[in-house]
This record gives sequence, C-alpha cells and structure tokens, in this order.
Amino acid sequence: MIGIDWKIVLEVIGMLIYATFMGFIFMGIERKAMARIQRRVGPPLYQPILDTLKLLGKKESVSHGLIYDFGPVFALGATITALLFIPIANFQLFSSNADLIVVAYLLEVPMLGIMLGAMSSGNPYSAVGVQRGLLTMVAMQLPYGLALIAIVQHWGSFKLSEIVALQSVHGWSITVPALLLAFIVFDIVFQAMLGLEPFDIITAPAEISMGPMLEYGGKHAALLFTQHAVQLFAETAFFAVLFLGGASNLIELLIKQIAVLFIAIFVASIYPRFTIDQAAKFFWKWPTIIGIIAVLLTV
Amino acid sequence: MINDLMILIFAPLVAGILAWAFDVRGIREAIGFIGAAIPVVILAKTYQTVLSNSINYTITVGGFKLIFQLTALNWYFAAVAAIVGIAMALGMISTSRSGYEWLFALMSYTGVLGVFLSQDFIGFFLLWELMTFASFMMVLRNNRHESLKYFVLSVIGAYAMMLGIAILYAKTGALDFATIRQALYMDLSIGAISKGESALLFVLFLTAFGVKAGAFPLHVWAPGAYSEANQSYTSFFSGALSKAGVYGILLLYILMGAKLYAEFGTFHGHLTFAYVIAWIGAITVVVASFLAVLQEDIRKLFAYSSVGQVGYILLAFGVGTSLGFAGGLFHVLSHAVFKGLFWLVTAAIILQTGKTKFKDMGGLAEKMPFTFAMGLIAVLSLSGIPPMAGFASKWLIYEAAIQAHMPLVAGAIFLGSGLAFAYVVRFLYAVWFGQRPSDLDNVKEAPLPLLIGMAILAIPNILFGVAPGLVTEYINKAFGSEIVGGDYFKLVTPTGTYNALLVTIVLVLGLAIAGLVFLYGATTRKIPVTNTYQSGNPVIEDYNLSIRRNFYKPLAEALDFWLKYSWDRFYERIAGIAEDFADTLRQSFYNGNVQSYSWYLAIVLLILALWGVL
Repeated sequence: MIGIDWKIVLEVIGMLIYATFMGFIFMGIERKAMARIQRRVGPPLYQPILDTLKLLGKKESVSHGLIYDFGPVFALGATITALLFIPIANFQLFSSNADLIVVAYLLEVPMLGIMLGAMSSGNPYSAVGVQRGLLTMVAMQLPYGLALIAIVQHWGSFKLSEIVALQSVHGWSITVPALLLAFIVFDIVFQAMLGLEPFDIITAPAEISMGPMLEYGGKHAALLFTQHAVQLFAETAFFAVLFLGGASNLIELLIKQIAVLFIAIFVASIYPRFTIDQAAKFFWKWPTIIGIIAVLLTV
Repeated sequence: MINDLMILIFAPLVAGILAWAFDVRGIREAIGFIGAAIPVVILAKTYQTVLSNSINYTITVGGFKLIFQLTALNWYFAAVAAIVGIAMALGMISTSRSGYEWLFALMSYTGVLGVFLSQDFIGFFLLWELMTFASFMMVLRNNRHESLKYFVLSVIGAYAMMLGIAILYAKTGALDFATIRQALYMDLSIGAISKGESALLFVLFLTAFGVKAGAFPLHVWAPGAYSEANQSYTSFFSGALSKAGVYGILLLYILMGAKLYAEFGTFHGHLTFAYVIAWIGAITVVVASFLAVLQEDIRKLFAYSSVGQVGYILLAFGVGTSLGFAGGLFHVLSHAVFKGLFWLVTAAIILQTGKTKFKDMGGLAEKMPFTFAMGLIAVLSLSGIPPMAGFASKWLIYEAAIQAHMPLVAGAIFLGSGLAFAYVVRFLYAVWFGQRPSDLDNVKEAPLPLLIGMAILAIPNILFGVAPGLVTEYINKAFGSEIVGGDYFKLVTPTGTYNALLVTIVLVLGLAIAGLVFLYGATTRKIPVTNTYQSGNPVIEDYNLSIRRNFYKPLAEALDFWLKYSWDRFYERIAGIAEDFADTLRQSFYNGNVQSYSWYLAIVLLILALWGVL
C-alpha cells in the first residue's frame, strides 16, 4: 500500500484553486490596464471569471468530433501538469521530481492540444492560426533556449528549487550581467509566450478572428479560458523563479508576477503587430545575438 | 556445430532466399516473417547472458578469421534492429507483393545484424557492403536516379572505409578490433602513427560512417532513397540501417578515442575530435529539420526528419561525456521505434489512398482511426511530449549538452525540437484533418498485419517513456558504471531529475480534472467540418478550404536567402558536369571510325616503344 501524503494533496488542490483564480485576475488586470492606457474605463477585474462562468452555463455546445473535444481537455490537463512541477513560493509541490527542461517542455504541450483541436475543426482561419502559432514557436525557440541555457550554465543546476535557493544566497539572476542579457531575451520571448503584441500573430483578432480559438464556443471555450488563466499564472511564476529569485511566500510571488505582467502589458500596448516572417527574422536577429553573448559569457 | 550467433545473423538472409525461391503468396510471407522473428527470439534468449559475459564465435573463411561477438553494447543495437525488423516484416506482408523485395529487405537485415556483431574489419566491411547493396536494390526497384545517388555516396563511403582499414592494417598489422584497439593504445607512447595520419584516419572513417548516418553534408541521398523504397522497408531502412552509421561512430570512439585525444587534445575543454562530431550533428539537426518543415510530400517530410533525428544521436555522441553516450544510445532506441512507426503509418496511408502529396489528402482520421491513433503516438513521441520515449532520450541529450558546456550545440537542439513540432503538426493537419477530398471517401482502415506491426512499435514508445529507467539501467550495465541514476521510473543525473511516472500520473490527473469539467458541462451536438465560421460566406462542398499546399510559406519567405543554396543541387551539378565530360570523351574518341582507332593503336605503341617497353 502506498502511503498518501495528505499534506501534498491539500497543497495541490489549494494551489490549483489559487492559480486558477489568480490567473483569471491576471487576465482581468491585463484588460483593465490596457483599457486605462487607451483611456477607456475597462471591465472590472473579475470580468474573465464571469465570462467563463457564462460560457460554462451555455445550454449546448457544438463539436467537430472527438479530437476537437480532446484538444482543450488535453491543453488544460497539460497546463495543470506544468504548474504542479514549478516550485511556487514556499510550496515545492512536485518540483523535486522534474527539472527546468521538463517544465519548459510541459509549458509548450498545451499549445499542441489547442492546435490539435483547432486543426480538427476544419476552419481555414484556424489553420492559418495554427501555422502562425507553430512558426512563432519555431522562431522564438532558439532565443528561448539560449536564455534557459545561460541560466543553467550560470547556476550549474537544472533543478528549479536549487536555482531559487542559489539566488537567495547569491542575489537574483538579473543582478548577474550575463543573466541580465538572458533576462532581456527571455522577456522578449515572454511576449510571444503570452501571445501579446507585437507577437499576437497567432490570434490576431482583426485578421483571422482569434485563429485557433475561432471555432470554440460554450464549454470548450470555457476550458480554453481556464487553460489560459492557469498558463498565465504558471508562466509568470516560471519567470519569477528563473530571474527574480523566486519567492518565500505567495504575496512576494504575486508582486513579482504582477511586475512581470505589467512589463508585458506596457510593451504590448506600445507596439503594433509583426507579420509572421518579420517576427521570425526579428527573433533570429537581436534576441539570438544577445542570447549567444549571454551563453558565451556564462560558459 | 551451428552457433546461435550464426543463426541470429544469417536466418533473415536464408529466409529471404527461400522466400524469393518459393515466390508463392502466403508461403513467401510466412517464411519471411519467421526469418525476421528468429533474431528476436535468440536475442531475447541471450538477454541474461550478455550482461555478465559476451558470447563469441569465430569462423575461418578463405584464410580470414572472422570474429563475431555478442556483447552488452551490440546486443542493444541488435535488439533495436530486431524490434524494427519484425515490424517491417509485418508491414511487408501487407505492402509487398514480390519475392524480390523480401529477398533484399531480409538481406539488409542480415547485413545490419552482422555489422553490429562483427569484431573484425573483414566481416564488418563485407556485411556493411551486403547491407548497402541490399538497400540499394530496394531503392533501385522504384527509382533509378535516387538509387544511383545513394550508390555513388555509398561507394565514396566504402572507399573511405577501405582506405582507412588498409592504413590501420599497415600500421598495426591487425584487422580485429581488440588488437587494433590495443595497438593504437600502445601507439600513444610509441608514436608510430603521426598526427597527420590520425587526422586522415579520422576523416576517412567519419566519411564512411557519416554517409550511412546521413550526416550533413553527406545526407543528400537519404531523402530520395528513404522515400523511394517500399515504405514498410523504409521503417527498417531509416529506423535500423541508419543506426549502422551511428554504431560506426561509436566504434570510432572505442578504437581510436584515446589516440585521437592524445593527438588533438582539447578545445575549450571539449575533446577536439568529438567537438567536430557534435557540430556536424548540430548542423544536421537544424538543416534537415528546416527542410522537413518545407516539404510537400509525406515521404520526403519523414525522410528529412529522419536525417535530423539521427543528427541528434551524432550530436549526443559528440558531447563526449558518458551522459552524452547514454542519451545518444537511448535516442537510438526511441528514434527507431517512433520513426519506424511513422514509416509504417505512411505505408498504410499510401497503400490505402495511393497518394503521397499532402495536397491530395485530408480528413482521413474518421476513415482510418486506428492508424491515426498510432500516428498520434508517434507524433507525441517525436515532438518530445512527456511522458514518451522520445522525451526521455531528448531530455538526456539536453542535460548532457548543457552540462558539458556546449551552449550553442544545445541551442541547436532547442531549435530542432521547435521545428519538429512544426513538421509533425503539418503532417497531422494535412493528412488527418480538414475537409476530405471526395475521391478519398471510400478509403478503408489499413490491413491487419500492418496494424499489428504498428502496435509492436507503438508499445515501446509508451513503455520506455513511462519507465525510461529500463533503458538507462541497461546502458549503465553495458558501460559498467552508474551513468544515469534513479530507478525504473525516475532518471537522475548529477544536476537534474525527471520522474516519468509522476509526470504521467499528474498528467492523467490533470486530464481527469479537465475531463470532468468537460463531462459535466453542456451537451454537445456534432456538426460537420464544413459547418464553420466563414465571416458570413456560405461554405459549399465545391471548394476545399483546407490549407494543404505551402502550409509554411511564410517560413520559406523568411529563409529565402538560405534556400538558394543546396548541397543536393551542388552534387547534382557536379554529377552533370562529370557526365557531360564523359560524354564528350566518348563522342570524340569512340567515334566508330576504324581509321581513328588505328591511329590510337599506333600512338600507344609509339609511346610504349619510346618508354622502352617494346
């Protein structure tokens, strides 16, 4: 009989609820801040929660088949998995069982789920969205990888909890010059990870009407909203862990997450959208060059 | 007495000859399958023995002593070949209708096993050539041009290897691996082999093995040859036969590693010669993956992808640390099982639809659900989704490359895995989803033997994904040291850790949570693929709205500068020039005029007379 560690079970359940809730609030902050920058009033912070509940309450949703249903489920499931392997503030969760490479991969898996569902819908706008999504990923993968490599080389460990511990002794990653370069690269890539301007090529509401998400409605869309919320929380936490020294409690983490989020929002509200080939050329130029300098400095 | 090892190596060949001789439907397939299954049985039987001591067999043929040995390391390679081999045989039952194909497919199987088991250069070279010849014949049957390209590059590789062997023989006076290894080790203090000669040997063997592994820039034969053979056979061709090249690189380390290290030392903390291999691997990964993304033909896509994935293995070996070897060896297995599976899925698609181009396909997921499921497993494994075998091996390679402080090489893996994502999604979208062309409405599920073959390859993808420790434990035992720690489900390296079972459990839990939300949500109503949002435009069946051609056109636009250059076109041009030159020679000299022939004779006699021969 395997003994069940009830403490971790409670932590996991609590963290899932907290992350989902805060993720929705982050989405609300995003909308509100954008609105304020554009001198609009904007919706209340809890608006995304209302939206999701409304979508869940729809009487009927349409489906294009099994894979179409499986896509959002898989995306949310994989995001939850990724979240539980990141050390969140003083909660280690399962982070001692998987390292940076695993988490980096798990954070990309939801994309495949969304793409699977979008492709099976047969909508050409979705297909264009899929194409753009994957090309963005191809484009950002090299600078993203270089930034992660710089982190690992400097701290000498793949384990996220060890990276946090080392930062608490030697100072945050961004205080190291080479890692500051890695931070700049990661922050540019982060914009694409969150799907914000100038890299909101995937959804591009004005061009391809939300791309991959286009066909989804009802509970499918609710799942995707929830997935986006959890992903937002997980990615900002990942950022804070890698570059901002992690956190010793949830409040500290929250401040760092919101700081990261606000940088993304400010950048997003200034820049217009790239086309996909421009984005690829951009990523392979400056972020890659800075990334290479960063990894060579940390060898 | 007939030895186990002889049966192991030559059973497929004998079965192939019998299948060719009794070219009757039913008997042919039965004999072929038994021939492919015998090595599996023998390898399973010897599993316990090889870990403690190796099995030897020596035979004297025509004055040469051939040594065969089943050690822990080459048992691993042989087992990988055997898994793919039996799946290939099952696939061929469905896709092949000729004794010719059975003969050469099984002949190359014998060649591959023989290459893995040989312990001296005579047997190694002969069986290497047998393997090359048989695979050449398989390609020749379908496409002469591509087979010649394969042939020419293989011949270059073979000459390089023969020269290398000759030099080694001249210097050490031995042909068996054990003696050569010892002689080269002794040479560290004697110094009979100069630095230049060591470099020459390294380049010669690297060329010989690089051709087979499809290393850049010698990869040009692979896309054509992989796509023009019978697809069931290609599962073996790309899954197992390309591993002979990889095995060769490993052999290079075993035989010459110490010597090359002594001669060339280190470069920024890396073994210089290994660093060259790592970069060849990295460039192969990037170039081949980019080209795979841009292909319009399903076979070409997987062919380039194969080249790229073998690049990962070269890269891992090039890292030169024990973790790198573990990662590379693991990837040998996972590449064999997922790429073998991909080729069988391709075989099923081509068999049932008769089409190879993406533009002619679509919407097949409803028609071939089982094949689709198998394709999805292969996709998940290739793109490295935890917990699949493809992820476990890639994870080890990442750890090895970053730990060895090869940041740019590791960056190439990141880029390669992004590209892998892109091309497998292309395959998923174009073949399985979207509107189905009306001429594919009657497509049926793949035949049973092919499906069994797929299942045989799909199981290891999941099994070794959830329990990667099964493989790393074997590798630890083969090397006799604890390279990767942990247990069956958990991999632990000095700086990282990956618990595959826990990831699986958490993923299942996550899926369960999401699934519950889904199940307790509203009812769903199924609608056809044509019922989609189109900005108010009505969708009619006449227009196929799925994007199948030039799916990644923006990428091609972003890369237009680089796509202007191609090694393939460069070689083709050289071949064209050589052909033109030969034509000119032939037309001007062999002009059919007796008078000019008599002039040639007179000139030759004159030269000989002046030389003083006559």
